[in-house]
Amino acid sequence: MNINLNGNELIFVRPNELWNSVIDPVVLQRSIPGCISMVETVPGEYVMTLELKVAAVGGSFEGTVGLSEMDPPNSCVISVSGSGTLGTGTGTARVTISDGESGTANIAYEAAGEVGGLVAGVGQRILLGVAKHLVRQFFTALKKEFVAS
Amino acid sequence: MAEKTYKFISQPRRAVEDRRFVAGRGKFVADLDRPGMLHVAPLASHYPAAIINKIDVTAALAMPGVVDVITGAEISAAIQPLINGLDTPNVRRFPLAVGRVRYAGEWVCAVVAESRAIAEDALEKIIVDAAAQPFVLDAEEALLSTSPPVHPEHGSNLLLDKKFVWGAVDDDFALAKHNLSFSVTWGRNSTVPIETFGVVAEWNGWDQILDIWASVQMPKYSDQISRCLGLAGNAVRVHYDIDVGGSYGVKRGIKHATLIGYIARKLGRPVRFIEDRLENMRAGDAHGPERKFDVTMAFEDDGTIRSMKMRALDNAGAYAGRAPFQLGKPIGAIVGPYQINSVSYHALSVTSNKTVQEAVRGFGQAPTNYAIETAMDRVANFLKMDRLVLRQHNLIRADQFPYLIPSGSTYDSGDYHTVIDKVLNAADYSALVATRDRLRTEGMMAGIGVAACLEPSGGNSSFEPLLNEANKTSTWMESCQVNVDALGNVIARIHTTSSGQGHDTLVSTVLGEVLQIDPDKIRVTRPNSLESLPGNSPVGSRMAIMLGGAAARAAEKLKLKIVAIAAHCLGFDADKLVYSGGDVLAPDGSKHSWLDAVELAHRQFHNLPEGMDPGLASFDIMQVPTGDALPVDGKVQMYPCYSFEFHLVLVAFDPVIGRPEIRSYTIGHDCGTVINPAIVSGMTYGGIAHGIGATLFEEFAYDANGQLMTQSFLDYLMPSSHEVPPIEIVKHCTPSPHTVFGQKGSGESGYLGAPAAISGAINDAVAALDIHFEKLPIRMSAISDAISNKLA
Repeated sequence: MNINLNGNELIFVRPNELWNSVIDPVVLQRSIPGCISMVETVPGEYVMTLELKVAAVGGSFEGTVGLSEMDPPNSCVISVSGSGTLGTGTGTARVTISDGESGTANIAYEAAGEVGGLVAGVGQRILLGVAKHLVRQFFTALKKEFVAS
Repeated sequence: MAEKTYKFISQPRRAVEDRRFVAGRGKFVADLDRPGMLHVAPLASHYPAAIINKIDVTAALAMPGVVDVITGAEISAAIQPLINGLDTPNVRRFPLAVGRVRYAGEWVCAVVAESRAIAEDALEKIIVDAAAQPFVLDAEEALLSTSPPVHPEHGSNLLLDKKFVWGAVDDDFALAKHNLSFSVTWGRNSTVPIETFGVVAEWNGWDQILDIWASVQMPKYSDQISRCLGLAGNAVRVHYDIDVGGSYGVKRGIKHATLIGYIARKLGRPVRFIEDRLENMRAGDAHGPERKFDVTMAFEDDGTIRSMKMRALDNAGAYAGRAPFQLGKPIGAIVGPYQINSVSYHALSVTSNKTVQEAVRGFGQAPTNYAIETAMDRVANFLKMDRLVLRQHNLIRADQFPYLIPSGSTYDSGDYHTVIDKVLNAADYSALVATRDRLRTEGMMAGIGVAACLEPSGGNSSFEPLLNEANKTSTWMESCQVNVDALGNVIARIHTTSSGQGHDTLVSTVLGEVLQIDPDKIRVTRPNSLESLPGNSPVGSRMAIMLGGAAARAAEKLKLKIVAIAAHCLGFDADKLVYSGGDVLAPDGSKHSWLDAVELAHRQFHNLPEGMDPGLASFDIMQVPTGDALPVDGKVQMYPCYSFEFHLVLVAFDPVIGRPEIRSYTIGHDCGTVINPAIVSGMTYGGIAHGIGATLFEEFAYDANGQLMTQSFLDYLMPSSHEVPPIEIVKHCTPSPHTVFGQKGSGESGYLGAPAAISGAINDAVAALDIHFEKLPIRMSAISDAISNKLA
């Protein structure tokens, strides 16, 4: 099943500081919900392990994350592909960072993904909600990065 | 023919099995706990089609409690492919995917562990390196040469392509005044038993026997397991004394049993596998026929149907199995209950990247009945004729039986007009029409549906040689043993599992009737396959005819022996004696009692007639009536007996919401002599509920990516008590001339006509808007969308 997500967030940090965080595997590992490990294999490519629980089903996922079309500190394309016991997922997101008002950065995303396997069937009613929830968790965690410093 | 009265048969008697089920004392596979038993969880494919490059099981095997991980590569090297019904040797199927997965959910490997929970956890540690491949889901698309073949070695997706022409189809079409063509599609659904499939296997190396306990309804089960595992037939012992929690065709369990049997033998420990619901819905034997019909009818102004051309395209899913034969069985009733002079039939079965199709209640008859009945409705609408009158005009009349249909089967008996009249009276047809019309004036959509359908019964397998010339099977037997012990008690043995059909009740009632003793005092047992006579299990609506027949014939043999003993003792010729209530009465008033016969047979060999063997035991192996020839020129006698059902339904719904509500449901049912009325009524009620599901709710639906979207009860909707209305059954009895008591089959009753009738009612409701629903299930969303599009 196909999932499309669009949105934007305002973060209290300067745009190029945000850019550095978004491409930093250490920050990403802390921010991505359920991320156990994230290891850079070649520049701009990572291997990631996730443990997620969605409603009654849970499981681990192994996947790759790639960054491309890098235009620091303005935009990039993040490609994700992974599979686990619950199913498979692929997706790409175009992320655009721009100046917000009064020392903030605006981060906008346009993502399109496809989910297959068991979770596509049993999760069809909640997948979009879960995806939105995970994105929200990601940004909440990302924002904390800058509050702490 | 006057109805014969019986002492026990057709009488209201409680099913003997009910007591233990109502008390929660059934014994199911999941109740078995063998010492040291291991548990299995299968890893399911995410992809509808992929090449398996590598399976890494190292991490899974390292987990505490994990004993083994079996892959397709291992098992395919150790066992034979599962038996294939058609002559398609390159469509090979093993219990696990070998080198390639062919549908989402297919089992890639199986973890064996000390508990099911450990096995499930270990599934997460298995790394499958697979490369997704192009796939095909739609049957028409699968036929195209540009589509990816599900089995590249087979070369295409075509499994079966058979054209039959019975009678002068071209001439009849040329002569007939009108032609009318349409297409309808039957959606994939199932019988959805409460109990999923389960199996326990145990290898005893000292005896060299593989014990199998399985929740199964499958012909020749132990033979198939033996062949696949390379064991002698007498090295596999299938236990029949296990309760099966529902089946109606789907509990085939052959891939499960070969897999679990293989593991049990390899590891030398008992192994259990019970499907969870997702495993059952995705990759168990759950899916039934998915079939598209293209039909053309030739007919006259007065409604006389001359001829029919039917193309039936079945989506068999990823492997061949036995499913394509579900296109063959309906040939035995291809004209329904009607006089149609000639028929052409083009049967096509294709592979696709969907779950494998298996047998479901009716073995393909319900979809075909739906197509035939839709044809009758369409012709009536075209001619602006009443749908009932059109049917009555074309029905075979009671004085025409036995009636030979163009495809070679002879219908045994029936009185269709009378059954319909009885239903119209019982339901007060004119009042029903008035109700429909009143509902319409009140702003509701309302429609009446009718369906006149046949249930071929007494199942044999004539469709096997008809569709596959290499197959020479004409035998399709059933057997029963009867023994009277030294205390005079009767024990009957039957040689199959039961999944709720009430075989114990059937056999004890029949034996009680013939031997004239209380059925409740007869013990019915189910030995295992090594201690059994040959049989073909309860399929094809056959057990009342075949097991009932074998039991009656075994009892008659026993009775002959009892009379012969009495004749010898009393000094009369046997034909002067009367068997009465177990005793034998002589013309001079003397009596040789049941216990006298028992005493002589068990203890007084010196008083037995010369040459007679001791003991009071008999058995019978019965061939299916009329099943005496292979097909000739594409024609064959299919099943021996033909039950009739007539459905009359009123459906109403709000035009905006579109949720059909069944306001009235009456069915006329003639299955000849009924053995147990409660069991037959239960079959019919359940069959109609199943038919409501197939018409309105149930479907294994796939998304465009090849993922099954309806794999839990959240999405696979079934009718509940809210959707199943009160049903009135109007009974009629036209005995069959081919069976011991005139009985016919009823195991598929209700289901064979309900979808045709309900869809007919919905189409009647929307006829004024010129809407035709051409695909089952007809979901409420489809109804409301179609209406709003028309009114927009």
